[in-house]
Amino acid sequence: MTFLALSPLQTALLALITTSIIVGLYLLKLRHRRVLISSSILWRRVLDERQMHSLWEKLRRIISIIVTATIALLIAMSLARPEIESLTGKNERVVIVLDTSPTMNAHTSDGTTRWQHAVERAKSLLDSGGPTTEFRVLDTAGATASAFTTDRNEARRLIDTMSPKSADPQFPRVDGRNAQVYFVSDGVAIHNTPSFVRRVSVFESANNVGITAFEIRSIPSTPLGYEAYLEVQNFGQPTETAITLSGAGGQRILKTVRLGTEETYKDVFDLSQFSGGGIRATVQAKDDALPLDDVAFAYLPLKRKTRTLLVTKGNHYLETVLKLDTYVELAVIDPANYRESPNIDAYIFDRFAPAVPPSRPALIFGTPNASWLKPPAGEIQKPEITTWSEDHPIMQFVSVHDVAIERAARIDAQNLTVVAASKQTPLIVVSEKPKWVMLTFDLESSDFAFHVGFPVFIENVLGWFNRDQLALKRSPGLVDVPLARAQIRTIDGKTVSSEQQLGKTVFVANEPGLFDGTQGDTRIHVAVNLANPAFSDLNRSVFKTDRGAASQHYWLRRELWFYMLIAAALLMGAEWFTYHRRITL
Amino acid sequence: MSTANVTIFDDEFLKKLEYLNIISKRLFAGQLRADRRTRKRGTGLEFADYRAYVAGDDFRHLDWKAYLRLNRLILKLFEEEEDLPIYFFVDSSQSMSYGTPSKLDYARRVAAALCYIGLANLDRVNVISFADGVKNEMPPQRGKGRIFKIFRFLNDITPGGETSARASFKTYCTETRRRGLAVVISDMFDGNGFESALDILRHFRHDIFVIHIASHEEIDPLLRGELLLVDSENNATREITITPSLLTAYRAEFAKYCEAIESYCGRYQLGYVRTATDFPFDELVLKVFRQGRFLK
Repeated sequence: MTFLALSPLQTALLALITTSIIVGLYLLKLRHRRVLISSSILWRRVLDERQMHSLWEKLRRIISIIVTATIALLIAMSLARPEIESLTGKNERVVIVLDTSPTMNAHTSDGTTRWQHAVERAKSLLDSGGPTTEFRVLDTAGATASAFTTDRNEARRLIDTMSPKSADPQFPRVDGRNAQVYFVSDGVAIHNTPSFVRRVSVFESANNVGITAFEIRSIPSTPLGYEAYLEVQNFGQPTETAITLSGAGGQRILKTVRLGTEETYKDVFDLSQFSGGGIRATVQAKDDALPLDDVAFAYLPLKRKTRTLLVTKGNHYLETVLKLDTYVELAVIDPANYRESPNIDAYIFDRFAPAVPPSRPALIFGTPNASWLKPPAGEIQKPEITTWSEDHPIMQFVSVHDVAIERAARIDAQNLTVVAASKQTPLIVVSEKPKWVMLTFDLESSDFAFHVGFPVFIENVLGWFNRDQLALKRSPGLVDVPLARAQIRTIDGKTVSSEQQLGKTVFVANEPGLFDGTQGDTRIHVAVNLANPAFSDLNRSVFKTDRGAASQHYWLRRELWFYMLIAAALLMGAEWFTYHRRITL
Repeated sequence: MSTANVTIFDDEFLKKLEYLNIISKRLFAGQLRADRRTRKRGTGLEFADYRAYVAGDDFRHLDWKAYLRLNRLILKLFEEEEDLPIYFFVDSSQSMSYGTPSKLDYARRVAAALCYIGLANLDRVNVISFADGVKNEMPPQRGKGRIFKIFRFLNDITPGGETSARASFKTYCTETRRRGLAVVISDMFDGNGFESALDILRHFRHDIFVIHIASHEEIDPLLRGELLLVDSENNATREITITPSLLTAYRAEFAKYCEAIESYCGRYQLGYVRTATDFPFDELVLKVFRQGRFLK
C-alpha cells in the first residue's frame, strides 16, 4: 500500500494520533447515569452469569471502541489517499493524443471513419487504468490540451468535442518521463513521434483518388488570360476518375481518366470561356475513402485593366513603369489640367495633390500641400528605412532596406498606417478610408525607382486599390486572412464566425471551400483546399500495428479513499444500529 | 407513611377487617383466654380428652358416668381457648424505601391491617422491625384499642441498613421463646439468602407466613442506556448498559428468585403471598389473603 497525499511516516503518525484520540475520548466518554436500585442482588447475578457464560459478552465491551477506532482510522487514512496496486492500480499519468489530421476522416470498411475508431480507442484507454490514474487529452491541431484529471467523464466530454480538422498536424510537446503517452492515429500525417509514445493504430488500408494541386494562374502570353492547373493522384487500386471543373457562370469542363496505382494525372485547363468568380474542381472515383480531397476551389479574377491617371509635371520613371505594366491603361496629364473623371480607377499624383480628395484611390509621391493630406512639419535629410511591414499587401515582395533617400518630409502619421519608416519620420503611409498611399519623399530625391521592387510596389498599390486578386491559398483548419477586422463569408454568402488575432482575421474551415474576406473596400478571396499528397495517400501509414497499447482493468473504479469513506459510513450505521439496540456497548 | 398521620385506613376499611379471622394452621397455647383453641387443656367448652384423676384435680371435671361404668375416676379434659401470639416481622432495610409507593409504606399498610385483624380477634400482636438486626420491637398488644399504638409504631419505622434476616430472627427468637404465627413482610432481598432466615423461624417452630413485596420498578424495570447502578443498601455500584436482552434476563432472574422463595415455602408448608406495590391494597387484604387461606 502506498499513500498519495502523505508520506508513510506522516500516515503512521496520523493513524497513531487518531487512535489515541478515539481511545482517549472513549475513556473520557460521558459518565454513566447514576440510578438507585433497591438491591443489586439480582443484577449482579444476571451480569455475572452473562459475563461468565458468553464470550460475546466479554468481547462486545471492546467491540464499540474497536469499531469507533476503525471508523476514525478509515476517515483519517482516506486523507492520505492510499492505494493498493492490485486493487486500484498505481497512480499514474496517461496522456492521450488524438490525431486530428484530415486523413482521420477516411472511411473504413465498417462504414465508419478512422476518427470514430480513434474516439472509441481513446475512450477505451480512459476506461483502463486505476481510479487514481490521471488523464490528459491532446490533439495534433493544438486546439485541445486538457489538464491532468481523474475525471473520466470530463475527458470523455472533451473527446466528444474534438474532430479532425487541421491540415498542419503536429505532435504536441509532452513529457514522457512521468506519464504514459498514447498516440491514437492512423499514422499517415505524423510519422515521427517520440520514442516513449505508445501507438494506438486505427489504420486500415483504403482506396483514394484526390486532388493534390489546384490553382489558377496567369497565362504569360495573354496578360488577362488565366488557366487552371490540376493535379490528381490515385493512391489505391486502378480506377476510372471523373474530373469536373465548374465555374460560377455555369461553365463546365468534364474529363474522365483512368488512373493506375500511384499514378498522377496533371493537366492545365484553359479558362478563357469562364467568367470571373469561384472555380470548383471535383474528382469522382469508385470506393473513394476520403471526400475531403475530392474537391478544390480557386478564384478566377475579373479580367479588366486598371484605368490609371498619372498627374505629373513629368516623371520618366513613373511613366515608364506604368506604361510597361500590362494591367494598366495609363493616361498622363499636367497638374494644371487635372480634373476628376469618372472613367478613372486610380490616380497617381507626383508632387501634386488636388484641393479635394479624389473619389477614387490615389498614390501620392512627395508631400504636397492639401487639406486632406498630412501637412509636412519639416524635412529630414537622408533618412534610412529602418522598419517596414512586409505583411501589408502593398509591400509584398518589395525590399526597401537598401533604398537611399536624399530627403523626406516629416509628418504626423496619426490615424494612418505606416508601412515603412525611418527613425525620424514615416516614409510610406497608408490611409484606409479614403484609400490612398503616400510616400513622404519624391522619386527625384531617392533611388527607389531604380530598385527591382519598385514595379512590384506600383503593381501592389494598384492591385490593392481596386484590382481583383487571385485567392489566397490556405489549408483546412485555422485559416487566417491578412485583414484586421474582416467579415468572412462563404461563396454562398453565408457569414462565418471569425476572430481578430494579431492584426489578422482568423476563422475555422474544416472542409475545402472558397471564402471572401471583406473589410471596407478591400476584398480578399481565400481558397481552402486540402490538395496535399501527404494527406491523400491514406496508405502511407507507419502505424500498421499497435505498439504497447495494451491496457489493464482493475476491480475498483475509484480511489481507495472513496471505498474507505463508504465503509466508515456503513460501520457508523452498523454501530448506531447495534448500539441503540444494545447489541454493542 | 413517613408522615405522622396515624390514621392509615379509613373507617369503612377497618370495619371490613373486623369480619376477618386469622386462620392458623396449628393451634398454639396462649397465656390468656381468647377465641383460639390450643393444645392446652383447660376450662374451655369443647371436650378434648380423658385422663386419670390425680389428687388435686378439679372435681367438677370428673366424668361420673364413666366412673359408674368403669369404677375408676376419670377426668374430662377440655380444650382451652387462648389468644394467638402473632409476630409481624417488618423489613425496614434501606431497600424497602424503594418504589413508588415505597415497599415500606406498603408493608406498613399490610402489617397494620393484619395487626388490626389480630387485635380484633383478641390475639397478641407483636411488631418487630428489622434490617441487619432487630431495630425496634413493640410489646405485645391485645385488643382493638391498641391499634393506634401499633399504627404509631409502624409509622415511626424508618428505612436503613442492610438486610440480615437470619441474624434478626435469631436474635428475636432466642429472646422470645413462645411460639406463634410469624408473619414476615419483606422484599426478600437478603444477601445471605432468606432461606436460612426462615430456617431459624422453623427451628423455633413458628407458623410462618411470608408476604413478599416487590415494587413494579423491580418487577419490570424501566431502565435504559448507560447506567451506574447503586445498591441502596450498601452503595455498591455497577456500570451497566441496559439492553433488551439484559432486561429480559433480569426479568427471568427475578421470576426465578421469586420462584425459589415460593418453592421453599411450599416445601415446608409455609404461607407465601407475593404482591406488588401497585396492586390495590384492599384487594390484597380481602381477596388475596383469603385465597391464600390466611384469612377466612
